[in-house]
Amino acid sequence: MDKKRILIANRGEIAIRIMNACDELDLDYVVVYTAQDSASLHVKKAIEEKGPEAVYRISNYKDPNEIFSVADHCGADAIHPGYGFFSENFRFARRAALRNRPLTFIGPRWEVIRDLGSKINTKRIAKQLGIPVIPGSDEPLYSEIEAEVLAEKLFFQQKEQGVDKPSILVKASAGGGGMGIEEVNHLDTFRQIYRRIQNYAKRQFGDEGVLIEQCMRDYHHLEVQLLCSQHEEIVHFSTRNCTIQSTGRQKRIEVAPGFDPKTIDYPFDAAKVLDLMVDYSIQLAKEVKYDNVGTWEWIVTRDGKPYLLEVNTRIQVENEISARISRISKHDAPVNLIREQIRSAFGEKLGFKQKHISFAGTSIELRIVAEDVKRGFAPWCGKITTFSFPEKPWVRLYSHVPQDEPYEIPTEYDPNLALAIIWGMNTEQAKERAREFISKTVIRGEDSRGKPIITNLEYLKDRLDDVLKF
Amino acid sequence: MDQKYILDSGKYLAGLQDRITYLGDIKGGLEWGRLDQLLEKVQEVRNNIFEFTDKQLINLISDLEDRITFFEERVAKTLTPIEIVNIARSVQRFTLLDILENVYDSFTELGGEGDCNIDPAILVARATLTRRVKNRLYYHQVMVIGHEKGKGEEFRNGGSAKPWGNEKALRYMKVAETEGIPIHTYIFTPGAYPTEDYPGAAQQIARNLFQMARLRVPIVTFISEGGSGGAEAIGLADIRLMGSRGYYSVISPEGAAAIEGRIKEGEKVPQELVEHCAAQLKITAKDNLMLKTIDRIIEEPPLGARREDFAFFRRLRYEMVRATDEVVLQTKSFRAFRAYALKRQAQEIGNGSGDEFDIHIKWSLSDSEKAKLLEFRSEKYRKMGKGFTESRRAISRKLEKASNSLRQSFYDLRYGLLRHHSRSVQKILEEVSSEGSIFLKTVTEPMRAAYDFVFPKPDYPTTTEVFDPFRKSIFVQDWEHYISPLANEDRTVTCPNADKYGCRDLWVPDLYGEFCGVCPSCGHHFPLEYQWYLENLFDKDSVREFNAHIASSNPLRFDGFDIKLKKAMERTKRRSAIITFDAAVHGIKLVVAMLYSDFRSGTVGAAEGEKFIRACDRAKITRRPFLAYIHTTGGIRIHEGTLGVVQMPRCTLAVREYIDSGGLYMVVYDNNSYAGPVASFLGCSPYQVGIRSSRIGFAGPRVIRETTGADVPPDYHSAKNALRRGHIQGIWDRRDFRKNLFEAMMTMGSPHLYYK
Amino acid sequence: MDINLNDLLRQFKSHPYEDHHIDAPHTGVVSFKVKEGQEVKGPSGQWLHKPGTLLYILEREKNPKRITSSFSGTVANLRTQLEGTFVHAGERLLTVQHKLNRDEIIDRILRKVLFIFRAPQRARYFFTPEAISFLEKDTDKGLSVAPGDEIIIMSLMKRDTFLPYEGPPGIIYKVYFQQGDLVEQEAPLFGLCPPGKLPFVQKVIQRIRTEWDD
Repeated sequence: MDKKRILIANRGEIAIRIMNACDELDLDYVVVYTAQDSASLHVKKAIEEKGPEAVYRISNYKDPNEIFSVADHCGADAIHPGYGFFSENFRFARRAALRNRPLTFIGPRWEVIRDLGSKINTKRIAKQLGIPVIPGSDEPLYSEIEAEVLAEKLFFQQKEQGVDKPSILVKASAGGGGMGIEEVNHLDTFRQIYRRIQNYAKRQFGDEGVLIEQCMRDYHHLEVQLLCSQHEEIVHFSTRNCTIQSTGRQKRIEVAPGFDPKTIDYPFDAAKVLDLMVDYSIQLAKEVKYDNVGTWEWIVTRDGKPYLLEVNTRIQVENEISARISRISKHDAPVNLIREQIRSAFGEKLGFKQKHISFAGTSIELRIVAEDVKRGFAPWCGKITTFSFPEKPWVRLYSHVPQDEPYEIPTEYDPNLALAIIWGMNTEQAKERAREFISKTVIRGEDSRGKPIITNLEYLKDRLDDVLKF
Repeated sequence: MDQKYILDSGKYLAGLQDRITYLGDIKGGLEWGRLDQLLEKVQEVRNNIFEFTDKQLINLISDLEDRITFFEERVAKTLTPIEIVNIARSVQRFTLLDILENVYDSFTELGGEGDCNIDPAILVARATLTRRVKNRLYYHQVMVIGHEKGKGEEFRNGGSAKPWGNEKALRYMKVAETEGIPIHTYIFTPGAYPTEDYPGAAQQIARNLFQMARLRVPIVTFISEGGSGGAEAIGLADIRLMGSRGYYSVISPEGAAAIEGRIKEGEKVPQELVEHCAAQLKITAKDNLMLKTIDRIIEEPPLGARREDFAFFRRLRYEMVRATDEVVLQTKSFRAFRAYALKRQAQEIGNGSGDEFDIHIKWSLSDSEKAKLLEFRSEKYRKMGKGFTESRRAISRKLEKASNSLRQSFYDLRYGLLRHHSRSVQKILEEVSSEGSIFLKTVTEPMRAAYDFVFPKPDYPTTTEVFDPFRKSIFVQDWEHYISPLANEDRTVTCPNADKYGCRDLWVPDLYGEFCGVCPSCGHHFPLEYQWYLENLFDKDSVREFNAHIASSNPLRFDGFDIKLKKAMERTKRRSAIITFDAAVHGIKLVVAMLYSDFRSGTVGAAEGEKFIRACDRAKITRRPFLAYIHTTGGIRIHEGTLGVVQMPRCTLAVREYIDSGGLYMVVYDNNSYAGPVASFLGCSPYQVGIRSSRIGFAGPRVIRETTGADVPPDYHSAKNALRRGHIQGIWDRRDFRKNLFEAMMTMGSPHLYYK
Repeated sequence: MDINLNDLLRQFKSHPYEDHHIDAPHTGVVSFKVKEGQEVKGPSGQWLHKPGTLLYILEREKNPKRITSSFSGTVANLRTQLEGTFVHAGERLLTVQHKLNRDEIIDRILRKVLFIFRAPQRARYFFTPEAISFLEKDTDKGLSVAPGDEIIIMSLMKRDTFLPYEGPPGIIYKVYFQQGDLVEQEAPLFGLCPPGKLPFVQKVIQRIRTEWDD
């Protein structure tokens, strides 16, 4: 049988990691790029390994027609969407499955993407299973009177629970990514804010549905990494802590595991909370017959209560820190979740069970971004002239930025430069190594006005102290 | 021939020339019978008038006149419909100003003086008619309104009224109503001037019809040139008279020929085709009398009345007075009316002209008489053109079967598409229904009021009582979702706004499935078949069609139309271009009339009008809201001639009565809505809404170019521009249709509606 | 203003052409509908609503897209070897050699006369809603701008920044981009005419009008 061919419908470091996984599985691949990305390492690497026929220039990564058109032309069997772009787009997955020349979408079934793609729907399913979710509406509200009744109730509950400064969030139901959210601190101002959000939602998304929920403060952002197959097998790869984020709620430092009760004190039984989250996540995965990799996002409040936020039906940027602390006893090679994801999408069985997976140490991911943290994390763009990192056995680096020649950061995309994944025997060692890594990293460059590059390296170093601490 | 005659011979010869050119007008050119040579001859005589002796001249003139008379007699004997059209259009024909001079005893023009006028094509005048009875003089005041074609002046625009001209007409009709004087209207128009500028050609005609339907004074109209919608703008009268050489038509014969012959813009329409159409359209006075779209014919001279046919004016005056008398008497008592009518009849037979009146009848009405007047008017139009539809009840069951098989074939298609990749039918059905639930959610969710809380309900104090009128009867639709058969193809299409807004190509199954035919980036609405609306707009199983047996027919026996009609019926499995049905939205029952494109482009003829009126009446009796959803209408069906045109006043009258009874009449335009229907029973609604990307207007771009010579921008008729001009009151997204309709029914309309 | 109008005009007269390169807007199979050397027309009609000559069809995902010419001119460098093949996005397909007409000559020369406000970075540009509503009003007045006015929004890396205008005060005479266009660094955004220079500009236009025959 011919090698299966995968179209990698993404850019940057994730494209490279998918290529590596394909190599591990001995699969053929094809990449796409835009004119802006011609100098990207993912293009170079593909040409080097597979020849010039394996790269296709397209007009836009976000145009599904380009992806399918290339897929048909190069005879691809499957599409790997990476993260972002089409990774959680059920319409794309549905089209891949239903078109005359079907393609394997490397991700969950489209129905699962659709059903869990809606936060409200996820909340509804979770609630039916008795999984805790943030108190609030579990469907969009369209009537002001109802919304007000619910708001009143949420304030009342917080008072009952002795919450210090009770407040609620009003969100556009169709929104996401921090857009169209406002906080209400007092019931009297509710109506005004509700109307504002409603108008915003109508204008922006064409749907005036609004969600209300209790505003949580003082919490950690945790994740549970699951891997499922089409044969109803489910295993987990422990938890991650992604509490350190930019003001735009973008993750900057992630750590696995989610808490470290051995070395850090928590105001609650952290080990028990982690177990509980994992159990709940598996329960929900079972319910919806989840069939690929996925991340269950949770928040844990200071009183040790977990609440399910949402499910990310894709491989995540930070997947590898989970892999780094995991070992599958039957396997020789290190765990690679992208490889497992592809296998699962092709309908293979996992070949191992939860009992074969063991965990050791702490892993930290640093997201190195050209941004000005002092100015609201404003993106920087310009040309990178020097780009070098220390080579150590405990660090793995992923970047699409070439280290042997200058590189212009494309203005069309986020200025992410590299991901560094660091492992240590324990949290202290991991943090120490991360600091060492940062101090030995050199990034130089200048913008169109000749001003030097600004990166978040210092910021990352500073924030390392806060890792895993409540 | 006497001496005086010779003295005036120059003038006499000029008169002969006029007669020749008039013959040329009728025959469509001077080539016929070598009229050009004859004309040259007359001209030659005229030029050399002093070269001849008297005797020579007399001989010459009488010889020429004999020849002309011979031609005139020959033409009169073989007058064809297109020649009658030519007569009505001739510059030598009498105009409204001639009538005002000769029929009325005195008049004052209102709102205009020659070209200094808001619209010189519409003339309004206060006029006085005197009646001598037993040596006493009685004066009648009337409001005269009509088209002035002028004597070739550019500014009269050939009697083609602008919207503001029709608005002027309406304004003075209301004045007449206030003052309680009758209205005489005179129709001399090739058609309304097709501009959308405010108040808009179609919208203003609709307003005129809507008001005339219940105008509380007698209205008598005389038709010389009745060009479709333009004629109706002032034509909804209690008695309609028509000159024997006038024409009254749904469309100009040239226009009909261009459509029938599928002539491309700019190409010449063959004359034979025009003549053929003129004959087919049944446009002469005799035809119209037979079709009962007019009440009486006023005889003109064989070749039509011209400016100096004083005998005709006398006749016209008599007829106008008599008609007004009759309208008035009808409201008083049936016996008086009969007596008057019999007497007039006897007199007309007795002394020929019968232009004397021996009694005086006052033309003012009491309140009860006014009510009666409106009753008679309503009755008159409800009867007009009836009996030109067909009833075919027998196939109704077959029809049901057909629609079932349609549904079946959709699954076949869907199955066919997927069997390709060997999937099970079971899965397909799952997909169909789950896609459905998404769409349904967006439709029903906004209205859905119930929620349950995430946590078990605690006891807590609440200060507000939740009461929401939108809450009731909401959980009704759970049925399997309808997906347009257009969605069954693996291909992409380009949004027409792609250049402007950068919309991506759309995958057809997404577009016609989940997206409901709407481009997600710019909101452009791709057309969907009418069945989509039937399935998605109303509560499950609530649609109950009625009067499906009323079928379109070919009342004029228009050549070739039988076949076209048969084809339309076979293709659509329906019998007319309108579907009327009961339905419910969130439990509120309403009556719906739906004009749809598949059947003769949603054109309106006798059957469609009749069904519309019945639906309207049904809504009135049941006190339900009445929705006219216009999937598409191409206008009045030309193949039914004036039988189609009279659907404009007929349906408007029904709508007016429904609205006056406290009903809620809503019109929703989709795709393309043009011409007659918009200019009457649709355009008169207080609540008119366009679905996004629809086009609404009076005449299409081609007709505008051909009649006005000016081009219009590509978005001239867009819903957005219609909204800007005030022709519609809102633009709805197709996906919000159900929700908005429900909201409209809850918040609009009078307490008379059954659910209020 | 010391531009040598004579030189400029002479330059344009000797070579009144501009090459417009036509690249594939996206992937797909191309089939050409023109021949090398063929004369093609740009959009026409009062509202430019009639599309220009059909250049080629680009079929992607069973959607044959008709690509018409936006310029009048002569087809050159037609890459016939691509006929019937699958092309990448941005592949050069042909060139339309466009002969400049009088208005275009005026435009090219104005670029040298007006103060040109250029894109500081490669980004997407928009006018502010207020500026748009003014510009759309179709008045003869033109939008007057003073230094520091924020009339342009630069959209870079998903972030919108208001761009304060820097340069002499004046009236926007000419806009060189469409709302939301991706504009290259240093490409002109709009041309501005200082009020005092208006008569000069009008004189330049007048002169070209009289001296240039199409």
